[in-house]
Amino acid sequence: MAQIETEVLIIGGGVLGAVVARELSRYKVDVILAEKEADFGWGSTKTNMCIVCQGADTLEFRPEYHRSKLIWDSMPLMEPLCQELDVPFKRVGELALIRNNEELGKFRKMKSKAEKLGINSHQFIDQDSLRQMEPNITREAIAALYDPNIAIVDPVRLTIALIENAGQNGVKVMRETEVVDISRKLNQFEVETNRGSIQCRFIVNAAGTSVEKIAQLVNSNDFVLYPIRGYVGILDKNLGDLIKHEIHMRPDAPGQMNILTPSVHGNLFFGTTMQPSQRGDYSTTRRIAEIGLQNVRKIIPDLSEKEIIHSFAGFLMFRNWEVGWHESVVQASRRIPGFISICIGYPGVSAAPATGREVSELLRREGLRLEANPGFSPSRKAPPVFNQLSDEQQKELIAQDSRYGHVVCRCETVTEGEIVEAVRRGATTLDGVKFRTRAGMGRCQGGFCTPRVTKILGRELGLPEEKVTKKGRKSRVLLYKTKELLGGK
Amino acid sequence: MKFSDIDVAVIGSGPAGMAAAIKAKEEGAEHVLILERQEQLGGLLHQCVHNGFGLFYFGQDLTGPEYAHRFVEKVRDLGIETLLETMVTKVSGDRKITAVNSHEGTIHLQPKSIVLAMGCRERSRGQLSIPGTRPAGIFTAGTAQRLVNVEGFIPGEKVVILGSGDIGMIMARRLSLEGVEVKAVIEILPYVGGLIRNEVQCLHDFDIPLLLEHTVTQIHGEQRVDAVTIAKVDKDKRPVDGTEQNIECDTLLLSVGLIPENELSRMAGVALDPLVGGPVVDERRETNIPGIFAGGNVVHVHDLVDDVSWEAEIAGAWAARLAQKGDHEKKGKIALRAGRNIRSIVPQTISGQNDVTFYIRVKEMEEKVQLRVGDIYHRAFRVVKPSEMIKVNLLQKDLKKLKEKITELNVECERGE
Repeated sequence: MAQIETEVLIIGGGVLGAVVARELSRYKVDVILAEKEADFGWGSTKTNMCIVCQGADTLEFRPEYHRSKLIWDSMPLMEPLCQELDVPFKRVGELALIRNNEELGKFRKMKSKAEKLGINSHQFIDQDSLRQMEPNITREAIAALYDPNIAIVDPVRLTIALIENAGQNGVKVMRETEVVDISRKLNQFEVETNRGSIQCRFIVNAAGTSVEKIAQLVNSNDFVLYPIRGYVGILDKNLGDLIKHEIHMRPDAPGQMNILTPSVHGNLFFGTTMQPSQRGDYSTTRRIAEIGLQNVRKIIPDLSEKEIIHSFAGFLMFRNWEVGWHESVVQASRRIPGFISICIGYPGVSAAPATGREVSELLRREGLRLEANPGFSPSRKAPPVFNQLSDEQQKELIAQDSRYGHVVCRCETVTEGEIVEAVRRGATTLDGVKFRTRAGMGRCQGGFCTPRVTKILGRELGLPEEKVTKKGRKSRVLLYKTKELLGGK
Repeated sequence: MKFSDIDVAVIGSGPAGMAAAIKAKEEGAEHVLILERQEQLGGLLHQCVHNGFGLFYFGQDLTGPEYAHRFVEKVRDLGIETLLETMVTKVSGDRKITAVNSHEGTIHLQPKSIVLAMGCRERSRGQLSIPGTRPAGIFTAGTAQRLVNVEGFIPGEKVVILGSGDIGMIMARRLSLEGVEVKAVIEILPYVGGLIRNEVQCLHDFDIPLLLEHTVTQIHGEQRVDAVTIAKVDKDKRPVDGTEQNIECDTLLLSVGLIPENELSRMAGVALDPLVGGPVVDERRETNIPGIFAGGNVVHVHDLVDDVSWEAEIAGAWAARLAQKGDHEKKGKIALRAGRNIRSIVPQTISGQNDVTFYIRVKEMEEKVQLRVGDIYHRAFRVVKPSEMIKVNLLQKDLKKLKEKITELNVECERGE
């Protein structure tokens, strides 16, 4: 590949890289976003709990931390952003369950601390009202702190929408492009990737779990991050009505958490552990799964493990984990001009909109000229979601393109038309199709649709089916044709 | 096609759906319609290219496609209407069906009666919470079966199979015949989950190691599966520390149980039996929703295809009668109670007015028992096993022996010969 030049290189296509790309697309700036995976939002973004919070919702929160400010500055920006990008946003509200007077006292203090910052949305709910709001939860809760502002989003869809919109406005995106080395020559960075080198004046390092690794390539070691592994379980949609609000409870042991939340697609998510762990080890263990079930049962006592359709581990990069509350990294390198690192830790999605703005301001201070892009359009249209259309709309869509009448994923009612559209917009893998359309995300976990989606992907990408991958690189789904292992043809 | 005036609509065209539709037509229902989501009738039978089908129903040893073909011909000969590549998206409690396909778009139907024949699906890795990484190369056995037998692809060359359900054992043989190295079949129980004939013909005959009382404790590999860790389990099915061993492989198949597929039933408000995962039915295989019947694996997972078809015929026959006469029979008043060592009984209620076909599963393997249904039926068994469903036919005249106003009937395994 020939050498490419650009003004700004964004490393990482998670929600933070995406929000920066979209923010910079407001200006006449050459931007490339490089993502090492086959699609966007596959790192910490996809393992996010999907909650848009205000920052002041756990007892440990530190108003003086920059991270807190980014989160609450983002809160008013998130809903309009989701509207512009045509992605789901649902204000479900949050209930922090209170089990005894000691906890009640602590939450009172937290509420007044939040009020001093102008966050006045918290209110205490007594046991009777709590029962009415959430009849299925534990009887141990004597009260709750309610925050109606808390919302849920789909972090991967948001990321893809941000990148699509950035692309419409001129940002170039490169996938399966991994940065291996960075050198600095004069006022330029020379960035070596597996796909050739990129010359740029500014780097936004939004590499998620690799953010320190990338910073070390330019010898910029301004921060230390702790990889914290979390465990998330997903419950069958049949239980979608079990709770209405995002609910959490104080953990009984360190390194744990008890969160149960609705998602915009109807499944409930629960998150249960947060423990320091070896970076990049996304495996789950039996022990963690058991703790997970125990913890979610503190909120829903009789929950059956049969209702768990999927579980996975994700990483958060925490700064100052050792002090019990963590700070974000959104800063220009002290030594290297034009090099900005961003890492929120938790919750990256909630803090994203304000982070995007702040990064463009940091770049301006580093010398990037920000002149308005006259062609900038903030709107992006989502692809059709068949199962959310009315009968009439469905009929119309099928009349236009009969592939929308062919249901490929039975559990989530995803049609061939939607999969073809996802490929047109950039999906190249089974996981790419899954995160963009939900095909394979339902209760059968791809048992039915895997052969069908593989076939469509092969056809649309012009690839033999054996070359189709689950998630890029060496993750091929089908290794051989029949009779091939017998030496036949 | 005309969608009004449907007497009986059957959802699904596998061994249950086609049998139900044929029976409904034979019983005199005029307009019988089958809705099938695939390109052809037959459901999953097309991917079951092995034999063992129809030994009881036809008295012949057929393959899945052959078994299907016999029904397909009858469907055609009888003039049963079919809608292929049509996905039913909604069924309501007042028997309205919404379906979608590429030709007609969204379709609305209001049949006089409905037979649910959606069959079952496989349990996935997620439901087992098997720990480890999330690479490519993990399939349910049925998905692999479709890939090999319908699509023409081999998932991998070194395979471990977790679970000894029938499809898993059949796939062990099928993949061996394709030159795949099947490293082991791992079963958590002390006995195989499927039929003995499959254990013999698919595993022993092909020298495939069967490891009982073992399970997979970890999946390894970033991009593609590169190994699994297995371990022995104790009597509570928990892995025993120190017994772990790694097996290098590129593929893990799961054959760990089937779940009746009842999303549509739920939408219609059909009450489900949590033990079997399917609708609560009476002896006519009618659910709690009048006019909605169910038969085959959607009700409870059978061991043999023959029983799937037979049970669905009961549903088809009564659905046709209801569609013609319009009168609703009195609901079953007698509830069946699972007594000693009985896990599940279908039907869950009976009226006492009609012949009944019971399907019974025991909880645990037991030798020398008497199976009793109230005091009207008993049969001696040398051995009973959870993996072998027991079928009991009771005729109306047997049921006449029941005391009047009885509301419960106990089914139990009694020790002794």
